[in-house]
Amino acid sequence: MTKIAIIDDDPDILDASGLVLMSKGYDVVTAANPEDGYKIVKEHSPDLIILDVMMNEPDDGFFLAQKFRREKITTPIIMYTSVSKSFGMDYGVNELVPVDEFVEKPISPEQLIKKVERLLKKKETK
Amino acid sequence: MDDSRNIKILIVDDEKGLRTGTKRLLESEGYQVECAENGTDGIKAGSSKEFDLALIDLKMPDVDGIKVMKEILKVHPDTICIIATAFASYETAIESTKYGAFSYIPKPFTPDELLHQLEQAYSRRELLLEKEKWTKEREERLLEVAFEKTRLNTIINSTSDGLLVVNKNGEAVLFNPSALKFLKLENLVVEEQIMDKLHPEIAELINKFLKNRTFEKKSYSTQIEMEPDQKLFVEATSSPVPHPDGTLAGVVVVLKDITELKKIELLKSQFVSMVSHELKAPIAAVYGYLKLFSDSTIQLTENQKQNYITRSQIRLEGLLKMVNDLLDISRMEMKTVNREIKEIDLCEIIKSISELYQLEIKKKCLQLEIKVQEGTHFLHADKDEITRLITNLLTNAIKYNRIGGKIEINVLSSNRYIVVEVKDSGIGMKPEEKAKLFTEFFRAKNESTKNIGGTGLGLSIVSRIVDSYSGKIEVESEYGNGSSFKVFLPIEIGHSA
Repeated sequence: MTKIAIIDDDPDILDASGLVLMSKGYDVVTAANPEDGYKIVKEHSPDLIILDVMMNEPDDGFFLAQKFRREKITTPIIMYTSVSKSFGMDYGVNELVPVDEFVEKPISPEQLIKKVERLLKKKETK
Repeated sequence: MDDSRNIKILIVDDEKGLRTGTKRLLESEGYQVECAENGTDGIKAGSSKEFDLALIDLKMPDVDGIKVMKEILKVHPDTICIIATAFASYETAIESTKYGAFSYIPKPFTPDELLHQLEQAYSRRELLLEKEKWTKEREERLLEVAFEKTRLNTIINSTSDGLLVVNKNGEAVLFNPSALKFLKLENLVVEEQIMDKLHPEIAELINKFLKNRTFEKKSYSTQIEMEPDQKLFVEATSSPVPHPDGTLAGVVVVLKDITELKKIELLKSQFVSMVSHELKAPIAAVYGYLKLFSDSTIQLTENQKQNYITRSQIRLEGLLKMVNDLLDISRMEMKTVNREIKEIDLCEIIKSISELYQLEIKKKCLQLEIKVQEGTHFLHADKDEITRLITNLLTNAIKYNRIGGKIEINVLSSNRYIVVEVKDSGIGMKPEEKAKLFTEFFRAKNESTKNIGGTGLGLSIVSRIVDSYSGKIEVESEYGNGSSFKVFLPIEIGHSA
């Protein structure tokens, strides 16, 4: 079964996104902070990671993504943001921000599923 | 004759009859007359004060008239001299005018002849005086111009804005020290080619006028980062300098240091980002739940439904509270708060707030202790603001407390301040958390706070209120061992230390 990890400090987002993905038959693991997020990824080796940018610190999500890549964890990452241009930084997909997709909150379940399916397919064909 | 002119005339003549006769005549005509009976006295009189006119006899026993005239003119060159002579000849006329006489009059003369001569002499005197006045004025104006020029230079050199004037050949013709600083130029010589040394964007601003030679646009402006990392931002504005005939003489560039402005701009956009993030989070949560309800492929149990509705409500309440807090902050920033300063009773305020939060206090089994030092509970302030301040401190003390903990509120006076201390036995703060305490949206996030809700604006509002009364806040806290907030408010507004 395809496993997805959601890392977000908002428990309501974890709940709602988790339910949507589970209803589509995915196995979901969640974490509410970057440390637990790192742990569940190491432990469960998910097929996809959904990661919130702003947790305790405004750029926690970036650091975690960079840490995964440094440790050769190549799992596709969808990054959740609520502000696309915060702190004068232009978020874009590049080597500094090693993620595969940006998603602005709030996102409808259909869109989320679409993005998840697209990334998973891309991963298979690699 | 017009008496108001008050013409001063000196008569130098050794003939007593003529002296007194002429004096009487002239006085009756309104002249102010003084006499000297010989050349020596004539020189003395004519030098010691300035006469408008002098009527001098040519032949006198001691000093002759020409010599007297010369001596007087040495001191008062504008005194108009007329030589009177009984030996009138062409030569004496020539000689006396050569040495500076206005004219000569042959003796004996009739009153009419004399008066006519004097009138003409006086016209000459007036002309001289007028000329003198103009010369003096012109000299003064020149002095003023020179002074203006150095003053203008001093002003240009001491202004904090950079000023650079470039002629149409691209040579620097005028610049001040600020301009060199902003342009990062060590030294520059007047008439030096400068275009290659300029930041390309500034050169471009100048070229817009130099290349087109038109004045269609009055000025061009741009903002340039001269030094990275927020060290130096400059706003450059170029304007054409026209010749009197309307053709282009050159371009003037004004450089303004806008680094501070840029910093504020960045802070503002960061704040807007933070606000958007904080507002979007509850929206995203509620939106997520609503989507669950509307998705027919997702089956929710009654319990789940109830839970999601309750949580949506909590998030929306939080959102509303945050919007209200933001509006309050914005009102405080714009200073549009309508304050009603009067004597208020702190005791009463603290009591009514603690009654309002009885339920929350009971829920956590907290023990609330209020201690008020005798006679210290009156303060001049706005009741709503002080209520808000104490409410925010108390709700924090409740939220961040442990079950069965304690809250102490102490009111006491210290110098000219009333001190309100709110002390809790809660989770406390780490030093790095304490440092960010009054920043908007900062909330200590760790294991023990993850279930505590809030807008992250409460203490920011407290600090703004305290600032607006010229008060201060002291915070003491130990991680795991509770915190104490001491607010110092001046007893009398305007008597703050």
